[in-house]
Amino acid sequence: MAGRKLLQFERVGFQYDGRDILRDLSFDIAAGELLVLLGPSGCGKTTILNLIAGFLTATSGYAFVDGRVIEAPGPDRGVVFQSAALFDWMNVADNIAFSLRCAGRPKVEQRAVAREMAALVGLAGHEAAFPYQLSGGMRQRVGLARVLAARPKMMLMDEPFAALDVQTREALQEEMLRLRDATGCTIVFVTHSIEEAVFLGDRILLLTEARRGAFREYQVSLPAPRWTPENRLHGDFLALRGQVYRDMRARQAA
Amino acid sequence: MSRAARRRLVLTIGSPLLLLLIWHLVTTQGLVAAIILPPPAGAFAALQDMLVRGYSGVPLITHLGASLARVGVAYVFGAALGTLAGLLRGRSTGFDAVMLVPSEIIRPIPPLGLIPLFILWFGIGELSKILLIGLAVFMVMMVNAQAGTRAAGLDSLRAAQCMGASRWQVFRFVVLPSALPQIMTGLRVAMGTALSILVASELLGGDRGLGFIVLDASSFFRTTYVFAGVILIGLIGLLSDRGLALAARRIVHWEGRR
Repeated sequence: MAGRKLLQFERVGFQYDGRDILRDLSFDIAAGELLVLLGPSGCGKTTILNLIAGFLTATSGYAFVDGRVIEAPGPDRGVVFQSAALFDWMNVADNIAFSLRCAGRPKVEQRAVAREMAALVGLAGHEAAFPYQLSGGMRQRVGLARVLAARPKMMLMDEPFAALDVQTREALQEEMLRLRDATGCTIVFVTHSIEEAVFLGDRILLLTEARRGAFREYQVSLPAPRWTPENRLHGDFLALRGQVYRDMRARQAA
Repeated sequence: MSRAARRRLVLTIGSPLLLLLIWHLVTTQGLVAAIILPPPAGAFAALQDMLVRGYSGVPLITHLGASLARVGVAYVFGAALGTLAGLLRGRSTGFDAVMLVPSEIIRPIPPLGLIPLFILWFGIGELSKILLIGLAVFMVMMVNAQAGTRAAGLDSLRAAQCMGASRWQVFRFVVLPSALPQIMTGLRVAMGTALSILVASELLGGDRGLGFIVLDASSFFRTTYVFAGVILIGLIGLLSDRGLALAARRIVHWEGRR
């Protein structure tokens, strides 16, 4: 871990309709870190992701990426959506190369990057297919590939595997950890699944009380490489999963 | 061909044949006077007569060409400008506000009501006819294109933004393609509207066109020729609609498959 702070939240608040969604929230993310935002729906985790992405603007406090206040969405922060949100009118290659096309890169480069990224996420040979011809898991791989193609500083992932079946979900979790080892990309991952949070995260923020400015933090230490499926059965994995579960239930009861 | 496709084909061809049969029976059994509703054979004889000898001294192909040219020019210009206006209204609240009251006041006015004004303003030549049809096409396309601009999903728009798309690129690569299904539907509705106004537009003087045939024949109670003209207009509608539907399936190939 480089330790350089890539993202900083300083007393960030977000109000909607006069109601606090987030209040006085402060935390950092180091370059290369995989931070999981965990919590039940309505806890504000997606709001935090949207603030980082620049889709929303903090109503109080400051959010910085690389020392600069976040003002708008940009290709340095790629988002992977639960719905994949692919462009149905473009084939896989054009979806993947979209950021290069917007940046006015030459066609030859767009095609080369599309091929490279398709291969990286295991979609070699599917470049000419349209999104509606792909399975849910393959669509999410395209969603990953098109973000990676933009070479972002951060990947923001909003429950990207929540709509997939268990086998596909686990395969994609492991694949994502492998991609992360290969690219060194910083990742913010939103989920409501404790199991997913512990398997993926370097660090977990449990956000049951974000509207009061509080969260609980966990460091995850599991054997490398992190994508080993065996980690799902590791004693530390099971212990942390149990601890997070108890904390979450205790806070919901309180 | 699959069972379902064969069934569809049989029903598609069978239903007009059944209608023809009913028409034939009703008119040949003496249930209605031939001057009110001529038998199908009479209408087809009139059609054949027009094919051979023309109508009022002008070959049928000239009438057909005159109508197609009017509808064609009005449709292309009306659709292009209407789509443009609708897309602009969908993307700019200022432009939408400017257009709102004028267009909603003009839209419900029936084209027949505009004919006296158009004669005063644009005369009885081609211009009035084309403007009358073009205005109706414009209105249909403006409403559909504007509605289409709202079809883009929030996630798709955000995805484009976070991949570095400019405002124009978001429009070109996300908003416009998302609006295409609605625009294609609008094009089909507008074609029907254009053809239905064709007859009215040819009320504006002149001695060429399918609408002219229908109007002229009806004023002389040549009902078989009225039917022949109406059938020709209907066939143009059928062919153009099928053509547009086929084009839509190819252009918006992703529709209904998500």
